[in-house]
Amino acid sequence: MPYTKRLHVLAPLLLISCLLIPVPGFAQQQESANCLACHSSMKGRIKTVSGTVIELQVSAEKFAGSVHAALACTDCHMKYTDNPHSSPAGAVPQQVLAIASKISAKHPVDPVAAAACTKCHPDVYAKVLDSVHGRNITDRRQTDGALCLDCHGSAHYIVPVKNPQAKMSRKHQVETCGTCHGDKKIIEKYKLEENVMDSFQESFHGRKLHLGHTKVPVCASCHGAHDIKSKNDPTSPVFGNNRLQTCGKCHKGANEKFIPAITHKRPGPIPHYAEKGLMLLVIGVFAFIISHVLLEAFSDIRDAIFKKGREE
Amino acid sequence: MSQSTTQTAQGIPHEIERFNITFRIQHVLMFTTFLLLSFTGWGLKYAHEPQGVASWWIRVWGGAETAGIIHRIAGITMLLDFVWHVVYLFYLLGTKKMTFDLRTTIVPLPKDIFDVIKNYLYFFGLSKEKARYGKYSYAQKFDYWAVFWGMFIIGFSGFALAFPMLITPIVPKFTSGWIWELLSIMHSDEALLAIVFILFWHFYNEHLKPENFPMSWLWITGRMSVDTLKHHHPIEYEMLFPEEAKTEKKH
Repeated sequence: MPYTKRLHVLAPLLLISCLLIPVPGFAQQQESANCLACHSSMKGRIKTVSGTVIELQVSAEKFAGSVHAALACTDCHMKYTDNPHSSPAGAVPQQVLAIASKISAKHPVDPVAAAACTKCHPDVYAKVLDSVHGRNITDRRQTDGALCLDCHGSAHYIVPVKNPQAKMSRKHQVETCGTCHGDKKIIEKYKLEENVMDSFQESFHGRKLHLGHTKVPVCASCHGAHDIKSKNDPTSPVFGNNRLQTCGKCHKGANEKFIPAITHKRPGPIPHYAEKGLMLLVIGVFAFIISHVLLEAFSDIRDAIFKKGREE
Repeated sequence: MSQSTTQTAQGIPHEIERFNITFRIQHVLMFTTFLLLSFTGWGLKYAHEPQGVASWWIRVWGGAETAGIIHRIAGITMLLDFVWHVVYLFYLLGTKKMTFDLRTTIVPLPKDIFDVIKNYLYFFGLSKEKARYGKYSYAQKFDYWAVFWGMFIIGFSGFALAFPMLITPIVPKFTSGWIWELLSIMHSDEALLAIVFILFWHFYNEHLKPENFPMSWLWITGRMSVDTLKHHHPIEYEMLFPEEAKTEKKH
């Protein structure tokens, strides 16, 4: 290809690619733009020193649409333990370090970055640290959950909870909790209630949610959110008679005979055998009416063909 | 129920009144609420499958909240219709406007079982005669009592599920662990039974059968021609017009 012809192709491409690069405005955006210049076009994953496989690409477009678009990358990525870049200057705030020190080095998100949420969300983070999820990360030094990003997804793409795209939205919350609470390995590891996903789907709450009801509860409506507790913890909203208040939020006058109505346990023997009995009745009635209808129709046709004249 | 007096020259009416206006209104209320309950309830019963169809269907009914309100209003209306029917029956019996007679009763009798057997034999070509019915054939009795069964099982459980706090005072403490699960199973399974029952049994017998297609008009007019009566309810015919029945037999 001659040089001029090649220029005809390349020049417009160059122009377009210049338009695509975000125009630097504020210092923070400029800094983000610096990082994104590479990370928005990088592809693939790498294994960090902690052994986690991380995605190299950060979608500039999706980041710009997130609630965190105005933040600079180094607001959260304040210090790196293992990467090819040099850590930015400036001390990491004490409250962030305090949390980061309690997080296992093997945690899939860099501990400092994972703790950084407390800079803007200190009250919520304090609740999480006191919750059954937070204690699993700090006290038991586990890496599988659950901290901020395990439920809310990557901080790069967080959208408001009212947005149906959000992982904690009414639309996606049950599914998001189910990534762990429907995972057999995790259920066994932590001895979790094993039938929560199916029992919710089968319940009136779950069915109505699926049909687009706007008021039925999702997981956090009953179990609490950032301050979630084990069901065996007396401070849990679903522990014993705490349910009088929890169920009462929607069901005015909820009493002791009503609160056992919703459980994640498998149905007991009485409903189980009652259902079997009713199914037998249903099958018996179907067998009778369907055979009767078909045989009668058949005999009517038979009579119409063979008995013409003999019967009126 | 009263008989019509539209007499022919021979002294026998063309048609008789089988259901008075009260019964007809009760029937219309029953089937309109039944259809509304089936349509809205089906969406909830099969909310998860097949994928997306139930959500679309519930949107047709105005969304989950509206469909729920329609379901509750239709349910209460149906229960009131049922209560009205039972009270009306007691009124008719109490004032002797309706009397018990083996040939006209809706109460199931041993004869009905023999009629079923007779008809099955006929279907298989093992008998030359179909069963002869009084005022109500076993098919009609089955239709009628199925509503009673449905009212007690589906109606009660539905009321309990819609207004749990009204029901808790009569719920024994020891049952509270499983009663709600049981009620929802009862409601859902028996509703399926009711819908399939209506689709096959009632629709075939009152709509699709060659002699009734597209429908028996009785539900509007309340009247049945004496010809039909003679053909389908011979025992009632013989009871109502014994003279004619006798002379016809002689011929």
